[in-house]
Amino acid sequence: MGTAQILFWSLTALALISAIMVLVSKNPVYSVLWLIVVFFAISGHYILLNAQFLAIVNLIVYAGAIMVLFLFVIMLMNLNTETEPQKSIWMKFFGVVAGGLLLSFFISFVISSADLKGKSAQLKEGEIGLIKTLGKALFNDYVIPFEIASILFLSAMVGAVVIGKKD
Amino acid sequence: MWTDFLILMKQEMAVIAMIFILLFMKLGRDRSNESFMNTMNVLLLLNLILGFVFNHEGILFNEMFRTSRLIAFEKNILNLAMLIISLQSYSWLKTNKHVPEFYILMLSSLLGMFFMISSGNLLMFYLGLEMSTIPLAAAANFDLTKRRSSEGAMKLIFSSAFSSACLLFGISMLYGTTGTLVFSELPHLINNNPLQLFAFILIIAGFAFKISVVPFHLWTADVYEGAPVAVTSFLSVVSKGAVLFAFVSVLYTVFSPLAKVWYNMLFILSLLTIITGNLFAIRQENFKRFLAFSSIAQVGFILVGISRSSDISTTSVIYFVLIYVFSNLAAFGVVSLVTAVTGKENISDYKGFYKTNPGLSWVLTIALFSLAGVPPTAGFFGKFFLLIAGAGKGNYVLISIAAVNIVISLYYYLRVVKAIFMDANPTPLPSIRTPLMPKLAFIVCVAGAVTIGVVSPVYDYIYSLIVLR
Repeated sequence: MGTAQILFWSLTALALISAIMVLVSKNPVYSVLWLIVVFFAISGHYILLNAQFLAIVNLIVYAGAIMVLFLFVIMLMNLNTETEPQKSIWMKFFGVVAGGLLLSFFISFVISSADLKGKSAQLKEGEIGLIKTLGKALFNDYVIPFEIASILFLSAMVGAVVIGKKD
Repeated sequence: MWTDFLILMKQEMAVIAMIFILLFMKLGRDRSNESFMNTMNVLLLLNLILGFVFNHEGILFNEMFRTSRLIAFEKNILNLAMLIISLQSYSWLKTNKHVPEFYILMLSSLLGMFFMISSGNLLMFYLGLEMSTIPLAAAANFDLTKRRSSEGAMKLIFSSAFSSACLLFGISMLYGTTGTLVFSELPHLINNNPLQLFAFILIIAGFAFKISVVPFHLWTADVYEGAPVAVTSFLSVVSKGAVLFAFVSVLYTVFSPLAKVWYNMLFILSLLTIITGNLFAIRQENFKRFLAFSSIAQVGFILVGISRSSDISTTSVIYFVLIYVFSNLAAFGVVSLVTAVTGKENISDYKGFYKTNPGLSWVLTIALFSLAGVPPTAGFFGKFFLLIAGAGKGNYVLISIAAVNIVISLYYYLRVVKAIFMDANPTPLPSIRTPLMPKLAFIVCVAGAVTIGVVSPVYDYIYSLIVLR
């Protein structure tokens, strides 16, 4: 087993365990902190796939900005173990069954799909995720979505300001 | 040539220009609401006229953007609806503090729809869809003092986020199995493998949310009731029409290899939608909720037309949306005016409406007749062509149930008409003076709802655009 594989399996285990911890933690603040661990593990996967830009953006945007927002909201609303709504054991049970069924369906779809057979991820050798390639793609092939997104953000900002203003 | 790109994207450019004119007007010295509204109405009219000239076919930016005379015509329908809504909301906007912001939100949503209709790539399509819903969620919250308005906006943003997530998951799986997002390449790579079918179901679910097909319709009534009437009419006419145009083109081009699968899906979905929409519409007391369920039922009829994939069904869908613009906007226009002046929006408030407001009563009646599909009005021809298109497949169960439901829908539309003309009411709504701009909009709507059905060149024109493509 090479280094890449050892890294892959340990990151995967870390991601799965912390994702489970997000769900089972009673205190919402702990859930958010575990979620940050999930994002770090996934960023590690991106680096393994040689997608450096995506890894950094994932850390900055998700683990950085969005998680801080989450924490702010949770702490401002003073959510803790006591305020956590208690769901019945049956609801949890059926939730797990439904989710598991969807997952097993999905896995069977992926296995039966001929196009995906025999293909493996390109570790270390892909060039798609490099910032240079990405920048070129963004300003050549994808220039119009890139520009349109700016108007989307402008209108979202205008909307937020209108709703946010009291008078 | 850079001039090619200016001509092909002229409608988008015009909308972007309007957004920026508004921004700079807002940043400049204080202006009255009147001056904003007059400028916008003139600009929207110019925009509409611009849509009819210099129409060419073309593909730009690696098939990210494509246009044809048909797509330009679809955009013209949306432009027309936008202009009518802008004229109708005059009474409501006159006292509003955020007129430029309202127009910016509406126009950016319109821009998103334009890019969605013109998209030749699933990425661009998704971006257009997002751009058409996010500003609308903010606009639904425009009655800042009303709790219902905020509730509607929250429901809209949550349900649209959920549907976008479904759509995006489907798109990513489609990309995983085919390796491309371009519309023209996808049909050759789609086969019946289970993962693609699953992706297809998710994508259909995303669409169904946006056009509120049962069982994805739950947000519709609450949002329609809570949002200001101008936004409600935009949601029910412009937004729905745009997604329908995109739906037809995606279904017929990208998913043409799966035609058998989606025919069965549309069969069940359309019947469910028509029946549920009708049954719930019968029980409604609030006029906006009533129109919400009526619009759900109308979408069901459109799905009947879509279920046969041919030029005729595309024509009938576009034709019906054009008629729907006129008839639904006339109904919403009257509701908008009455709500702005009196604040009442229940059907029972409209009892004896004819005694005090004969003109508005006639507009509302013609609109409701057209929605119901009573013969002299255009709505009859719209539904007639939809059912004819649907009958082409030879599935007479579908057509006969749909036809029976047209009769059922007559009951609840005529119930409102009865309230207006026949029911006695000691305290009817006061007589409402219609300002010039809504009056213009009513004239356009009524003229459209009455004449489009009997003026056959309109249908032929749409058909010729599709065949020429």
